[in-house]
Amino acid sequence: MKKILALVLAAAMLLSMTAVASADYSGDLKIWVAEAVVDFTKQAVEDFKAAHPEYAGMTVAVEPVGEGDAANNMITDVEAGADLYVFAQDQLARLVAAGALEEVEPSNAERVAAENDAGSVGAVTLGGKMYAYPMTSDNGYFLYYDKSVVTDPTSLEAILADCEKAGKNFYMEINSGWYQTAFFFGAGCELTYDTDDNGNLVGCNVNYASENGVKALKAMIKLAQSPAFVNGSSFSTATNVGAIVDGTWDANAAMEAFGENYAACKLPTVDGFQMGGFGGFKMLGVKPQTDDDKLAACDALAAYLSSEEVQIARYNERQWGPSNLNAQKLEAIQQNPALAALADQLQYTVPQGQYPAEYWSLATGLGDDILADKLDDADDAKLMEVLTNFQDTAISYANK
Amino acid sequence: MSKQNQIPEVDIVVDEKAGVIREVKDERKLRSKSGHERRVNTAIYVILVLMSVIWLAPFVFLVFQSFRSYALESGGMVNYLLPKTWSLDNYRWLLSGESNFIRWYGNTLFIAIFCAAIQTVMVLSVSYALSRLRFKGRKLIMNTVLVLGLFPGFLTMITLYFLLKQLGLTQSGAIPGLILIYCASSGMGYYISKGYFDTIPKSLDESARIDGATRFQVFKKIIMPLAKPIVIYTVLMAFMAPWGDYVFASYVAFGSEPNYNVAVGLYRWVNVNDYQGYFTRFCAGGVLVAVPITILFMCLQKYYVEGVTGGAVKG
Amino acid sequence: MTDLEFLKLSGPAKTAWKIGDFFRRLPGKIAGGCKKLGLGVVSLFKNFGLNIADLVQTFIHGDWKTKLSYLVMGFGSAARGQWGRGLLFFLFQTVFNLYMVNFGVAYLAKLNTLGTIETYKEGRRTVYGDNSFFILLYGVLTLFFVLAFIYTWRMNIKQNKISEQILKSGHKLKSTKDDLKSLADEQFHKTLLALPTLGVFVFTILPILFMILVAFTNFDATHQPPSKLFTWVGWDNFRQLLSSDTASYGNTFKQVLFWTLVWAFFATFLNYFLGMLVAIMINKKGIKLKKLWRTILVMTIAIPQFVSLLYVSKMFAADGLINSYLLKWGWISQPIPFWTNAHWARVTIIVINLWIGIPYLMLIATGILMNIPADLYESARIDGANAFQMYRKITLPYMLFVTGPYLLSSFTGNINNFNVIYLLSGGRPLSLELSGNAGYTDLLITWLYKMTVTDTNYKLAAVMGILVFVVSAVINLVVYNMIPSVKNEEDFQ
Repeated sequence: MKKILALVLAAAMLLSMTAVASADYSGDLKIWVAEAVVDFTKQAVEDFKAAHPEYAGMTVAVEPVGEGDAANNMITDVEAGADLYVFAQDQLARLVAAGALEEVEPSNAERVAAENDAGSVGAVTLGGKMYAYPMTSDNGYFLYYDKSVVTDPTSLEAILADCEKAGKNFYMEINSGWYQTAFFFGAGCELTYDTDDNGNLVGCNVNYASENGVKALKAMIKLAQSPAFVNGSSFSTATNVGAIVDGTWDANAAMEAFGENYAACKLPTVDGFQMGGFGGFKMLGVKPQTDDDKLAACDALAAYLSSEEVQIARYNERQWGPSNLNAQKLEAIQQNPALAALADQLQYTVPQGQYPAEYWSLATGLGDDILADKLDDADDAKLMEVLTNFQDTAISYANK
Repeated sequence: MSKQNQIPEVDIVVDEKAGVIREVKDERKLRSKSGHERRVNTAIYVILVLMSVIWLAPFVFLVFQSFRSYALESGGMVNYLLPKTWSLDNYRWLLSGESNFIRWYGNTLFIAIFCAAIQTVMVLSVSYALSRLRFKGRKLIMNTVLVLGLFPGFLTMITLYFLLKQLGLTQSGAIPGLILIYCASSGMGYYISKGYFDTIPKSLDESARIDGATRFQVFKKIIMPLAKPIVIYTVLMAFMAPWGDYVFASYVAFGSEPNYNVAVGLYRWVNVNDYQGYFTRFCAGGVLVAVPITILFMCLQKYYVEGVTGGAVKG
Repeated sequence: MTDLEFLKLSGPAKTAWKIGDFFRRLPGKIAGGCKKLGLGVVSLFKNFGLNIADLVQTFIHGDWKTKLSYLVMGFGSAARGQWGRGLLFFLFQTVFNLYMVNFGVAYLAKLNTLGTIETYKEGRRTVYGDNSFFILLYGVLTLFFVLAFIYTWRMNIKQNKISEQILKSGHKLKSTKDDLKSLADEQFHKTLLALPTLGVFVFTILPILFMILVAFTNFDATHQPPSKLFTWVGWDNFRQLLSSDTASYGNTFKQVLFWTLVWAFFATFLNYFLGMLVAIMINKKGIKLKKLWRTILVMTIAIPQFVSLLYVSKMFAADGLINSYLLKWGWISQPIPFWTNAHWARVTIIVINLWIGIPYLMLIATGILMNIPADLYESARIDGANAFQMYRKITLPYMLFVTGPYLLSSFTGNINNFNVIYLLSGGRPLSLELSGNAGYTDLLITWLYKMTVTDTNYKLAAVMGILVFVVSAVINLVVYNMIPSVKNEEDFQ
């Protein structure tokens, strides 16, 4: 009798569990991705719905809101924001602090940790909790160049000389806090922030005000003085390009522009040191939900959109480098010139952590001062003063 | 100092009768002007031609770029002016419906038409009331509007956004939402048309009132027919403004691409990194927006001039 | 100084004297203002007292209809046959009561803390707590509603008193039909102004008051409803924006304010004089194709700025058309730093703004120039004046006199001229010498925009908005006080 009761109970529990697992949801869902993958994502969602009949009735809107805008828009109005959205890893803490990210569902979190590369798993984790699904491990930069112009891509001096000779432009966005670190980190400096579990910045590790920092700054000043140099990092607004420091998202544009002279490689050396920079990731976040069923649907869809299968498909469509370990082993991906260049560069980079919003404008300030030739005549002492000022301000952001 | 010395000394005489400050000049006589005059005119022509070139150049360049072949050359920015291959690629793409451009255009047109209608009614009501009617609180209203006008418009953006959101008029409801915020406070822009109403003689109203007409009838039958220029001016201004609004339109519609207006859609093509090679498309889109508005404006230029001049004189 | 002495001064000296005069009179004016304010407060209390007394008197002497109207608004009017008025009063009271019971009281009660219930999780589900934004917004709205109710209630009592008097004197009361008719006649202004006033109140006055209050809270990216609460912080934000210790924006604010004023000055006066010059050239006798020249220039007004200015901004970029061609022709060896060097950027903006502004001023000046009586020039010519003298003695004073108010509003307009700066330079270049994401070409208004949209730092944006208001108001006050003397001096009519 007891046995039967236990069996019935177990059966009931099982039933109720499956009922929870397949809690169907047929309301609306909104996704924000970059313009380039809107159609791709729409297709992926259709595939998802076909494979999961319990979500077949769901209406999914895919809107083109790129990684740059998504985080800002989410913070402006969480309620009107997308349920799933893609963002770059440096926004994670900001989004957690603003209450715009839901924790990854525990069983999904286990799988994410097992299937993706360590860097990307670290990047989605804050204070021991996982807040997003890694999508790509390609959010870094390297060098695209025109083989017919640049003969020696290993040294910045040689690249600039070649570009000057050919009357071509060399592009690098040195007034961006993202590209700037190629110099500082390459020269051996450090700038990272510590965060607490809620995404607040509590400490800053920085040594820009050092001999290495001065070395990096001097290299930037010298670069800015070259007639071939133009500040910028976007192929669509660049003209007469000889070489450009850019990322995989511009691979198609670069291929088109350079034609058969298209080439990519790691960043060059400058003044004897190898340029470094950030290695970064793009990730898919889920917004906090007030409805359990909708949250379950979001979890399932996010897990699917960041799965091995979809990452490979996305690579085939857009050449975005996957974060999934199995996908990374594919031959086509290992031989892609842009991704190979990025992988080569990756050994010199630092995984990008969390930065306060103010850091980016501070770095732009430094870059703009260089571009405005304000530091051209500065001696080492003056440069050290500039960097000390920069460093103190960077530290002050952590102690608010 | 030396410059001052070149100008002959002038005695100021206040001609009391005419109330005019006039200068009594020394012996400089009228000379034969023809040669001098011609030189001056030539100089003016040179300046005007130069200015025309400078003023038209950006538009001509814009048109050139819009005809650059997307397929055979590139859609990005280039450092030369004349396309190597001329084509209609960009226009064809815009009108093919592959992007939301046609939708944005429609949205903007829709907003513009509604604003033109509603704002005109609002502006005319307020300016007529403040110009022709005398009532308690009239000065108070005018002073309040003056003070409110000193606050920068973007200050309240976030509040307006959430007010509209409460009404469901953001994102997918952005179009009616924008019409609402463009129109709601448009009564504050009464100044120019009030100035116009002020110039219509009061005796017209008074004689009609003596004949037993109500104030509404005076407004409808006597003043409105006379106010045609200012009505056209108000309609024109209200119609043109929505085409250029980026700030509010992007703030209210963010994340909902089908509900952008042309300004937001096109602005994003050149300023958001997700879009590669959209520059020539931006140019073509810009041309498509600018041409009809320019034609409309040119046709109604006369009224525009009347409006601004009147407005400037009245303050 | 007598009028005669004043007239003998040179132009700049006159202006200097006027400005000096304004500040000389300032203490007196402030004292006068304080006195007025004091008197105002006194009369306010007096009025309040009178109103209370009147309420009591009306209640004691009024009939039962009036007495009941103290509780049920509109009862007296309805009972005396004025159905329309009575119904309106009653409806208003009903709506007010329902609103207060269902929302108003709850929001008012939380106004002092702006909410205490934090957002929390129930399992994995999120349950949102208090929303400080709406507490503040509806709190303010409710306050207004309460004031409006008190005013209407008072009107309702007054109405009863007046009706009683009218009836006592043997006259008849207005019927509802009469009331409706008067809306097209004696009360026509109410019909005309009802909708615009409501619009301005909801979409201008309420938001402005709300933002003024936000300046005293910590509403920013880390205190963003609905996930997080924000609360009152007093004057902290003003301190952060204005004080000049390292973590504050004081020095940057001074820099941005300085450039804003410089910009407004050039954008107003350079455009003004050059636009006038162009108008004079086009209107000169013997110049042909007048309409063509005008039309070409005016095209810049018709074409939306986001198209033309964005395009022009790209033209001037380091790798844009202008630098490319100058390099190609060998005129320069380095790109001209139009947007990267602060001084270049400022000058470039002012010059490009001429391209926008000259046509506008040309149109205005054309209209006015045609109104200058031709015999003024005729008599000047007979006296032997040359073109420049006629310009200085006739055209310019006339223009300045007629367009004085326009110049003032144009100056204030340029302080808030967002488009030109935002579309051309976006406020760049930034610098380590500036803080808070402000650049050397940022105006107060573009900085405010950055604070709102880029940094979601609403509290500082609110403070900035208040400061822009103060700056505009001061300029307006100073100039308004100078304008009467301008009028006396140059009255042509």
